[in-house]
Amino acid sequence: MQNEHQFEESVETADETPDAGRRQFFRKALLAAGSVTAAGTLAAKAVRAAESAAKTSAAPLPAPQSYADGSKLERMRVELLQALQKPVAQRKWVMVIDQQKCVGCSSCTVSCNAENNLPPGVVYRPVPKEQVGTFPNVAWRFTPRPCMHCDNPPCVPVCPVTATWKREDGIVVIDYDICIGCRNCLASCPYNARTADFGDFFGRGTPEVMDYETRPNFEYSKKWVRKPGSHASPIGNARKCTFCLHRIRVGVLPACVTTCLGGATYFGDYNDKHSLVHELIGATRVQRLKEELGTEPSVFYLV
Amino acid sequence: MSKENKTAANIKTEKAAEKLSRRNFLKSTAFVGGCTALGLPAAGALTGFFSAGAAAAGEKSTPYVLAAPENQIYSSCLQCHVACQTKSKIWDGTLAKITGSPYSPQNFLPHIPYQTSPRDAAPIDGKLCTKGQTAVQTYYDPYRVRKVLKRAGKRGSNKWKAIPFSQFIDEVVKGGKLFSGLGDDGHYPGFEEVIALRDPKLSAAMAKDAKKCGQGKMEIGAFKQKYKDHLDKLIDPDHPDLGPKNNGFVFMAGRIEHGRKEMMKRFTGKSLGSKNAFEHTTVCEQSHHIAYAETSGHKTHHMKPDLVNCEFVLFWGTGAYSANFGLTCMAEKATTSKVERGMKIAVVDARLSHDAGKADWWLPVEPDKNGTLAMAMIRWIIENKRYDQRYLENANKAAAKADGEPTWTNATHLVKIIDGHPRELLRASEVGIGTEKQMVVSRNGQFVAVDPKDTANVVEGDLFVKTEVKGTPVKSAFQLLAEQAFARPLQDYARDCGVALKTIIAVARELTSHGKRAAVDMYRGPVQSTDGYYSGCLVITLNMLIGCMDYKGGLMKGGGHWHEAGGKPGNVYNLGKLHPGALKAFGPKITREKARYEDFSLFRENGYPAKRPWYPFTGNVYQEIIPSFAGGYPYGGKILLTHMGTAAFSLPGGNQQIIDMLKDPKRVPLFIASDIVIGETSMYADYILPDLTFLERWGMPHPTPDNATKLSKIRQPVGKPLTEEVTVGGEKMPICLETFMIAVVSKMKLSGFGKDAFGPGMHLTRMEDWFLKEAANIAYGDKKGEAVPAADDAELDIFRKARRHLPASVFDEARWQKALRNDEEWRRTVYVLNRGGRFAPYGSNYKGKYIKSQIATMFNFFVERVAKQKNSISGKYFSGVAIIGGEYDAAGKPLARTAAYPFKIISYKDPIGGQSRTISNYWGNIGLQPANKVLIHPTDAGKLGLSQDQKVRLVSQDNPKGRLELKDGAGRVIDMIGRVNIMEGMRPGTLAVSWHYGHWAYGSNDVVVDGKKIGGDRRRAGGLCTNPLLAVDPVIKDVCLSDPIGGSTSFSDSRVNVVPL
Repeated sequence: MQNEHQFEESVETADETPDAGRRQFFRKALLAAGSVTAAGTLAAKAVRAAESAAKTSAAPLPAPQSYADGSKLERMRVELLQALQKPVAQRKWVMVIDQQKCVGCSSCTVSCNAENNLPPGVVYRPVPKEQVGTFPNVAWRFTPRPCMHCDNPPCVPVCPVTATWKREDGIVVIDYDICIGCRNCLASCPYNARTADFGDFFGRGTPEVMDYETRPNFEYSKKWVRKPGSHASPIGNARKCTFCLHRIRVGVLPACVTTCLGGATYFGDYNDKHSLVHELIGATRVQRLKEELGTEPSVFYLV
Repeated sequence: MSKENKTAANIKTEKAAEKLSRRNFLKSTAFVGGCTALGLPAAGALTGFFSAGAAAAGEKSTPYVLAAPENQIYSSCLQCHVACQTKSKIWDGTLAKITGSPYSPQNFLPHIPYQTSPRDAAPIDGKLCTKGQTAVQTYYDPYRVRKVLKRAGKRGSNKWKAIPFSQFIDEVVKGGKLFSGLGDDGHYPGFEEVIALRDPKLSAAMAKDAKKCGQGKMEIGAFKQKYKDHLDKLIDPDHPDLGPKNNGFVFMAGRIEHGRKEMMKRFTGKSLGSKNAFEHTTVCEQSHHIAYAETSGHKTHHMKPDLVNCEFVLFWGTGAYSANFGLTCMAEKATTSKVERGMKIAVVDARLSHDAGKADWWLPVEPDKNGTLAMAMIRWIIENKRYDQRYLENANKAAAKADGEPTWTNATHLVKIIDGHPRELLRASEVGIGTEKQMVVSRNGQFVAVDPKDTANVVEGDLFVKTEVKGTPVKSAFQLLAEQAFARPLQDYARDCGVALKTIIAVARELTSHGKRAAVDMYRGPVQSTDGYYSGCLVITLNMLIGCMDYKGGLMKGGGHWHEAGGKPGNVYNLGKLHPGALKAFGPKITREKARYEDFSLFRENGYPAKRPWYPFTGNVYQEIIPSFAGGYPYGGKILLTHMGTAAFSLPGGNQQIIDMLKDPKRVPLFIASDIVIGETSMYADYILPDLTFLERWGMPHPTPDNATKLSKIRQPVGKPLTEEVTVGGEKMPICLETFMIAVVSKMKLSGFGKDAFGPGMHLTRMEDWFLKEAANIAYGDKKGEAVPAADDAELDIFRKARRHLPASVFDEARWQKALRNDEEWRRTVYVLNRGGRFAPYGSNYKGKYIKSQIATMFNFFVERVAKQKNSISGKYFSGVAIIGGEYDAAGKPLARTAAYPFKIISYKDPIGGQSRTISNYWGNIGLQPANKVLIHPTDAGKLGLSQDQKVRLVSQDNPKGRLELKDGAGRVIDMIGRVNIMEGMRPGTLAVSWHYGHWAYGSNDVVVDGKKIGGDRRRAGGLCTNPLLAVDPVIKDVCLSDPIGGSTSFSDSRVNVVPL
């Protein structure tokens, strides 16, 4: 098998990342054309078309070979690699969370924090914990709550600058370089999936802000460096779960999935009828949060 | 879009930046050592908030470099003792992310084959809990100590100065008036003075004769005559069995794992000749280990259910989802078995743990009545004949084998009752049917001699036997257990332990409904009490009644490991033997553990009661180290070295007394603390020796028994060392514990470290000289011919590049190779280092219906060793049969209770918290939960008129004001105040407070270093540590309540009250 992960940082990987200039063009054109809300939706559609066209210099991916038969993580990783062989528009990323298996360990929350180097106050995947019942018949209910990556995302049309849109593969993204930090999207999300990056650091009030806080994160396959006193993106932006787009592009499962201690979190391509997530969504105990709002989330719960 | 919002965001950012820059002036080189050159912008740069981003777009496109094998190092965690296998990802020299390793079944199930190349494994991440992942923040803790600190005020005054490492070594070796600069004329003993006996041959001879003196086999006068030129080397020539003055050096480790542990023992015992090297085990779960050890005839001290195949598991005061041994490796096995295979789970816990809240049954036991609940189940099982009779009737290995049983028990063995006390097993010689080594069973009224290990002659016995031999009453071990169980009706047990009778019966029925595919698991929950050993035995008894040990789906000892320390035929370095000139340490340990009082001259002089308890069955009696050291029984200590432990904070009770002792140089003459930060205990030290975190150093932790696959773990340097680089013996290295040991021994020209330490031409002058040899042993394996492959050039290339960020003081390839003999050893070792250890294939764990790695031994319903021993204070016999114990003082008297303190109190571990050391983990401990709370049931809260989150002060009989005085010279007092969390999932009448919060040091407080104030981070002081409230033993008076057999400290026998604020 070929060496697909280059040692030096010289490889272009962003297969589907639309060229910033092109997106800028659509945004400007549409802003000129009409209302902000309509522009957002139209822009998203336009960008989708651009994405499909933009599949150019992708780095070679690992072969879809499982190294551990019987491991659900390996099965999902292989299915992920298979999905990546299809055009973006034919993928539909979904997540399934089995609440019977969730043990409330918060490992997903912290894994996400570390993966994306999140500062104080920014959380992509909280796990609310509640007790149900009265003594001695009491149970715990844990509800991990990432971005739902809705098919009808309420956050998209309220963005005044079309900094957020839904990709063809289902992922709702934010372009930090466009986002102006107005936080309309925070208010519009019925799942409280978005938080604002106020530029805080864990090292605040200590003798030193340490290296790990100033190393880049790799969201959207770019380097984002946060420095104390700076206000370069993502400081000042709305932030949220990306389904670890930067990882899945190179064939690595999202951080919350690989670290889920209870084995409760699943990820994959719903368009693949043989995938694990497709199997699980067929279960009788499947539900989505706030189904009545018509947001059509891409996150499914097994209760 | 709102303008206000934008402004608000702006202001908040500016404030944060302003605080940062202000703090920056308070830097001290003792803390910050060039980890980050933090450049802060001028105030004017804080304008144009939204202008920065767009320009960079397009230029910052980047591949995901963290998935490249050259940016990954496999190692082992140490946020808890599960020691998970990790994959650390490094970005441009910065430790960016820690995940689980796919090579290990602890972190990836089933794991990938061992031969998978690191390149193919690179995009595969395994699981890791929050603690492990937040270890990035343990390593990058801004409060890390980088240089040696010497106190610049009285002990505990939080005033320090940074000194050169060489000065530190000089001072602690030579001793003297070390603090005369502070106006303190006191003499501080150094190693030169304390390590009095340095002749290996003499030490061996004296050790032998001193033991004879202790046992009364040699006159003390004769000893004094024989060694008349060397009496000055003894602690007390009139009690030579107390050992040499060397015992005045005490190495008190909290957490120390294999690799480093053996090095500590080499240093303390063989280089310095002191008996006193300790771990922390009794503050954790020692009585559980001792219960397993005694019931299994010392064949194991730890067993776990095979969760992958279990049909029913009863978690007793533990579980798979929060802590235990541990959540990362156990959680998915339990959830998968439960959801996909229908495994049922019951949980015993006074608090609704995550496990209990997801279980089929929750048994909210009274926290001091675990033994009662177990006895209730035992009674029901015996009464309803739900035990495995065929299994229990097997009296020896031959009988077990005939039935296809890997284990058997002494249920049928007969016990003599002397003075009403089941004292000894009846021997075949006593009834004229065999030898002294054979036991006796009764079958259909006939005595039959039995050798428990006999594999040829099948012997079975009757379970219920009550007879007489020459006037002495004799009963079978099972009869004795049944009599205990039938002493009271089930309803009484149920009422006492607070669990509904129908639930007890339902769970006991479930346990006995799955043949061998059921198991009861425990860890510290039922055993951290004064009757911990007995309760532990009762819980193990439930497993023995169904005989599930060694069965697939039953209870197992785990898959084991390849040995790193050497001594096996395949191993290439026998490190224990490679120590020319080793001293022979002798005398009792200062804690009087693993020693019978009756074997020492002090006993013959004083008899019962002993001044402080002796612990013949257990070791690492952590709570006794400092009080014995300071109190001078059986002898006083001189130099205390603490390491990765914090007695003043972690011990349950007696915390004020410990602070008082540590404060007093007369009682604790020299105190050196090895720590990564200034902690709750190290703040009282004379010197702080900065240590490396587990991410910068080596270790060889052993696997957890819940995992049936054979595996060996390796911990190795991952991040650049943050401590000062120093030169010792011409070699550059970061300051750490190993550096200290090498420096002290080299300076004193003792054995075991330094040039030629392993033998001629074999040096131990750098830490990898030790650890690479251990890694090589793992690579070669226990048997000849089972070595791992040699790393090829491509693997070597990955190995080298992945370490390109490490300085030569840590990674120097040529120097590392010199620690081994040849290129073949080197390449095989690289192969295991590239995978963070060695892992057998998944699926190699079972043999038909059995676990492959078996214990295959006899389990004891009657433990003769315990039955024949007396409590050193009361002089009364312990019980060889598991009994319902109680809450007792050191003399075995029930504790006095008053109505003023009506609440029971327990502690527990949150999944995000690891002991005393995770408060620096901002993503977890502070980010997810800034403070712990006092959990209380709504009925109790209602009686006290409490509202949610209300502040309360907790008070207790031994701490009626609910406070702890730090005696730091500034009069700081820690109040036992917390906020309540009123919840249904709490047993009424009991409070629970988690254990990771309530710090008074560890970066939470201000300290002065080199005259500069280093501001503490108050976020790290959140919540409450309840330990200072817990009971002090009323007989010994300066130490917490303890289990006299297992040695465990008591966390569940105290009573408190709640004062609303």
